[in-house]
Amino acid sequence: MIEFVSGISVVCFAASYAVALACEASRLLFRSGVRGAAMIAFALAGLVAHTLFLVWRATTEQAVPLSSAFDWYLLAAWLLAGGYLWLTIANPRTPVGLFMLPVVLGLIGAAQISSQAPFPQSPATQIWGAIHGIFNLAASVAVAIGALAGALWLIQADRLARKQPPLRSFRLPSLERLAHTTDRTLTIAAWTAAAGFLSGIVLNAVNRQRGLLETVPWTDPVVLRMAGLVAWLVTAAVAARVASRTADGPRTSARLSLISFVVLTASILWGVLGTTRHGVPPEHPATVHATDHHAVEQEATP
Amino acid sequence: MTLAFVGGTHRTVPLALRERLAFSAEQAAEALTRFRERFPGREGVLLSTCNRVEFYAAGGEADGPPPPPDQLVSFLAECRGIDASLLTPVLAGDRDEAVVRHLFSVAAGLDSMVLGEPQIVAQVKQAWSLAQESRTSGPLTGEMFQAALRTAKRVASETAIGRERISIPSVAVADFASGVFERFDDKRVLLIGAGKMAAETLRYLRQAGARDVIIVNRTAGRAGDLAARLGARAGRFENLAAELAAADLVVSTTGATEPVVSSQLFADVELRRGGRPLVVLDLAVPRDFDPRIGQRPGVWLYSVDDLAAACNANRKSRQRELPAAVTIIDEETQRFMGDLHHRSTAPVIERLRAGWSETGEAELDRLFRRLPGLDDAARAEIRQAFDRYAAKLLHPPLASLRSESRAGPPHGLLDALKRLFDLKD
Repeated sequence: MIEFVSGISVVCFAASYAVALACEASRLLFRSGVRGAAMIAFALAGLVAHTLFLVWRATTEQAVPLSSAFDWYLLAAWLLAGGYLWLTIANPRTPVGLFMLPVVLGLIGAAQISSQAPFPQSPATQIWGAIHGIFNLAASVAVAIGALAGALWLIQADRLARKQPPLRSFRLPSLERLAHTTDRTLTIAAWTAAAGFLSGIVLNAVNRQRGLLETVPWTDPVVLRMAGLVAWLVTAAVAARVASRTADGPRTSARLSLISFVVLTASILWGVLGTTRHGVPPEHPATVHATDHHAVEQEATP
Repeated sequence: MTLAFVGGTHRTVPLALRERLAFSAEQAAEALTRFRERFPGREGVLLSTCNRVEFYAAGGEADGPPPPPDQLVSFLAECRGIDASLLTPVLAGDRDEAVVRHLFSVAAGLDSMVLGEPQIVAQVKQAWSLAQESRTSGPLTGEMFQAALRTAKRVASETAIGRERISIPSVAVADFASGVFERFDDKRVLLIGAGKMAAETLRYLRQAGARDVIIVNRTAGRAGDLAARLGARAGRFENLAAELAAADLVVSTTGATEPVVSSQLFADVELRRGGRPLVVLDLAVPRDFDPRIGQRPGVWLYSVDDLAAACNANRKSRQRELPAAVTIIDEETQRFMGDLHHRSTAPVIERLRAGWSETGEAELDRLFRRLPGLDDAARAEIRQAFDRYAAKLLHPPLASLRSESRAGPPHGLLDALKRLFDLKD
């Protein structure tokens, strides 16, 4: 069993998700009685392998989720894959995988080119680091789900405006449900992203107080992009709330959700490809607090 | 011949004659009783719907063949008091395999006015139940109708022939209104006009969960009547603007020659709606809503033409499923006829088994007399060995019979078996 679990690689579950995505895409081409079962089987196999992989890393490499950029992306992908499986089982005729699985694969791809080195942690910063990472993760997942709902809203609205009846085995959710999801995720994304940013500030303040940092890196590209992302998400949530009082509100929310996803993707790419000191141990720590003199405090986001 | 059928549908029988030929449930029961008396031992099932009247008859070797189609025509004419010469040109008859194929097609909705309509399955089931109650259904019609229902289920599950909706009210609600709204129990439905189409659409909306329904009509009395009949509330036509502002879904079916809701009126209403989406099913001709209203954000306006186009698209989609459905009908017909033909071999098989068994028993008796020292266990072993030997020898001819039955009644093989093994009728 241990040998089997240790043999699971990123390729295993990425391939399963890719096959599930191919099954989803085949909805556009032909009908099949077994496709639904095959799709769920591959997605489930991928999710099980994905789970075992994360558990294996956590137990053998002390890489608890969110402890490295690699794990952070994989955990985000795992959450979205779980959401995809749940939505597909609950609504088998809705092609959510066409939109969600590429994001899952994209996050896995981002993980592959990210550092697997764990963020250095210490008891003093572990809690704030975890809070920071969880809020940022929640914000990212909310943005991805909101973008999915927004994209489906625009497609469904376009079909209804063109008086097209729903396609067989390709039924989209109602506009009401999609608009509700879009609004809700925009709000959640704004709150969690803001909370993630604020917890990051607290984390840096704690680091500085303990002498691990000389100055807070306000001009670091990651800090800047996070600030920009938070500013955008808060603006989008407020704009969506204002627009909800108008007849065009759901369309505005859908567009804002999609833009939010683009902003998030750009932000992640910037983080993956850019140069940053974020999440990297300081080379010359300042005076180290007596209880933490071996520790180097870091944040837990990529 | 073991199966016969005669019948006519909306395609062959003019409406006036179809009305005279149609059977109520009581009339059908009476006709079946009369059939039982007229053709004792024969089986009969009468299927009468608004679009078809068909009689299925069956008979076996013991009680004689079923009445031929021309006799069935006369029988139906007699039951309904119609001159048989009027029915002969419009009713079609068939026998054996064609009867099975026809019934399977009917049950699967392939012969219906609306291709793939599901109600026919229940009607076929009712017709068979009535025949059972009237004691005119027997093993042959029983198996045939069971197979027909099984075939209908296969067609429904393995093809999409009945999945797409093709009536305007059902498409309006299930394909369009449901595309906008997730649920209807928290929505206000406004019916403008008290036409038949409004009532039909409301039926589908009720099924979808709509509870809060208000009906406005220029003639308040008609709105009140319809509201009482459909369990809705009647509103005043003078308050139309206010009702539009409060509504989430509007079904409009007035006979007005000018738009009832102009673009200008709607502009006033829109300000009072607070941005809530509005679905308008304008089923009136001429249209009740100015088409420009459909271009307003948050308004989903569908006219009869829009819905009819969707219905046609769905109808074409059903047509595309037809070949797959026909393939299933063919498979099931072949399987049923194979089983039916194989049943006809049962008496010969029985005689063959009986003959071999008799010979085997005689040989065993002789053997056990010559070997008196055998105990019970040894005797049982020897008996089992004889039985296995007989079964193995019989297997090839019986397998050949079954295989031959798939292509038709295996008369040649049966004759050969009778002659080879000296089987007497």
